[in-house]
Amino acid sequence: MAPLKSLEQYPRIINSHFLAFCASHGILTVEDFLLHDIYELAALAEQQPDPEGLKEGIEELLSMVDGELHQPWMNGMDLLADSLQNKHVLSTGCEGIDLLLGGGLREGQLTELVGPSSSGKTQVCLQAASNVAEKHMGRVVYLDTSNSFSPQRIADFVDLATHNFLQNVMKNILCHSVFDIFTMFDILHQLELDLRSQNGPRRVRLLIVDSISSLITPILGGSGLQGHSLMVSAGCLLKKLAHQHNLVVLVTNHTVGGEGGAPKPALGEYWKSIPHVRLMLSRDRGNNTCSISILKHSSMVYLGSSGEAIPILSKETQNIMTRVTVVVMSLMMIFMIGTSIDYVPAPAPNPLYHSSDDY
Amino acid sequence: MEVGRLPISASQRGKLIRAGYTTLSSLSSLSPSDLARELNVTNSEALEILKVASLNSRLDRTDGGHAIFNGAQTAWDMLHEEQLLRRITTSCADLDNILGGGINCKEVTEIGGVPGIGKTQLGIQLAVNVQIPVDLGGLGGKAVYIDTEGSFMVERALQIAEASVLDMVEYNDLLRKEHRKCQVNLKPNDLLESIYYFRICSYTEQMAVISYLDKFISAHKDVKIVIVDSVTFHFRQDFEDLALRTRLLSGMALKLMNLAKTYNLAVVIFNQVTTKYMEGSFQLALALGDSWSHSCTNRVILYWNGDDRYAFIDKSPSLRSASAPFSVTGKGIRNSASNHKRIKLM
Repeated sequence: MAPLKSLEQYPRIINSHFLAFCASHGILTVEDFLLHDIYELAALAEQQPDPEGLKEGIEELLSMVDGELHQPWMNGMDLLADSLQNKHVLSTGCEGIDLLLGGGLREGQLTELVGPSSSGKTQVCLQAASNVAEKHMGRVVYLDTSNSFSPQRIADFVDLATHNFLQNVMKNILCHSVFDIFTMFDILHQLELDLRSQNGPRRVRLLIVDSISSLITPILGGSGLQGHSLMVSAGCLLKKLAHQHNLVVLVTNHTVGGEGGAPKPALGEYWKSIPHVRLMLSRDRGNNTCSISILKHSSMVYLGSSGEAIPILSKETQNIMTRVTVVVMSLMMIFMIGTSIDYVPAPAPNPLYHSSDDY
Repeated sequence: MEVGRLPISASQRGKLIRAGYTTLSSLSSLSPSDLARELNVTNSEALEILKVASLNSRLDRTDGGHAIFNGAQTAWDMLHEEQLLRRITTSCADLDNILGGGINCKEVTEIGGVPGIGKTQLGIQLAVNVQIPVDLGGLGGKAVYIDTEGSFMVERALQIAEASVLDMVEYNDLLRKEHRKCQVNLKPNDLLESIYYFRICSYTEQMAVISYLDKFISAHKDVKIVIVDSVTFHFRQDFEDLALRTRLLSGMALKLMNLAKTYNLAVVIFNQVTTKYMEGSFQLALALGDSWSHSCTNRVILYWNGDDRYAFIDKSPSLRSASAPFSVTGKGIRNSASNHKRIKLM
């Protein structure tokens, strides 16, 4: 923590007299100051020769801490305005998934795709990337850990009838291979710096990490919680990037065996509460379709074990087609209040949400 | 804690935190000898820690400006690169067709199947086929063969190499005189010379070889394929700590991916099968569990269908699911013909 002496550059209030007073009570750093009881300090200042000057010093120091050390407080109206203007919903390119998510992927949220091997997670990521690059003309950053980024597949997804130049669309997608978590941290920090200086229509709108579980599994476990702390800080960094720079962040995770042989998401209990939205994919080998269902959503009730998975993907076709067979009643049940307690942004302006009136 | 994101060992990190250094700025104005004294480590270790810390904090202080950061490529550039890459043929036309031309470089392909289906045969065939000269449509590279089970037979490799040379000469003769690029000067012994063979006897040796491969391949830049036959063998028996096994395997998978991407080569790993209780019945599945199944780019499963051998694409980011027949003949892996069947035991 910074020593109080470094604040001598503000000699008007925080002068050597104030510093000597603080030192006499054992306050040498900013941390000590914050831990000390301010009222007691003010009372002690009364007994000193220059009480007003010392009290002004205390106020000044508090206001400096307030201004620089933490994020500014936002009230509900600010949050609402922010979510209406900045946090849009990006379509994934697949109608079924968009319908399930109430419009698509929401900016400012961390969405996780969980599924066993070969269930379509990378395909959903590729489709979302090509859709954002093409329809929303936004840039996409794709961090790939298993060399599965296939530019040929992206080229197949782009609808050439409406886009004469495949080049413009493909140049919007940046792919970087990462093979360990420290490299990922470096890239994310670099991206943060780039994002602070970018503006205009061609900004980064989608960040995909495929898959984050391959980066975290080698360090998780063993002696100590080092791996867990890196995992949680990676999750927090991704959520911070999503919120501050209005990005959609999409990560993929794999499954491990749970009770009774049913697959459950990997990365354990600590990771469970980090993503805002968790989607479970599964593949039915018999009729070669993939299904997706919601495990957790910050503003919808999850279907869980009682709900039906909505079959939407067919692996045989070139583009991911949709076959949504949803009973209307179950749809009405879906859009009720979620149980999360973070400061949930206002509901998307979507007619299907009108049934929820106690938000 | 900022020190937590430095790529240093856990014990060094513990010492730093106990000594009170929790942020990168606290390390910025320290000399290596002071740090070495405080942490009770050697001078060179302290120097390394400071170097890593300064690298990280320099990253923080640079003001962006670049649109593309180092190492990233746009999808457009990757598309063009992909179209220029040659693939390694398997010598079986049907198998090549479902693989989109053959085994792809820059990717890790996992091939699994029951014992006796022909995995090692396919491995030897690929080790020979990677050496087909560039003029005849191949890669002209060398192969690294890591053998954990001891199933690599040199006599069989010689047999396959001889058959391959005969095929190359025949192909060259069939080309019209103007298109004939060169004389095939390869002898079977040359083909055998270009296969680097490692024999592994324990899982620690396996981890060590894969870590060493980075240095080996940077010294032998013409290696174009790394074959691990099989990756499962030493991790199956008597591994008490399953959590450790998962960590080791996922670390190994990342290293192999890194190799494939950095040196632009193909990595082929063979896996064995196990039984799994899925969907109400016991079925055959690939070994090493769910976490390992995500560690490859493509997966091909070899299986018996009646008396014929078939290959099935189980996982791929860009290939369709399909299956194709193949056969194992005296010359190696070839197209399936109706008279090449598994011998029925009476």
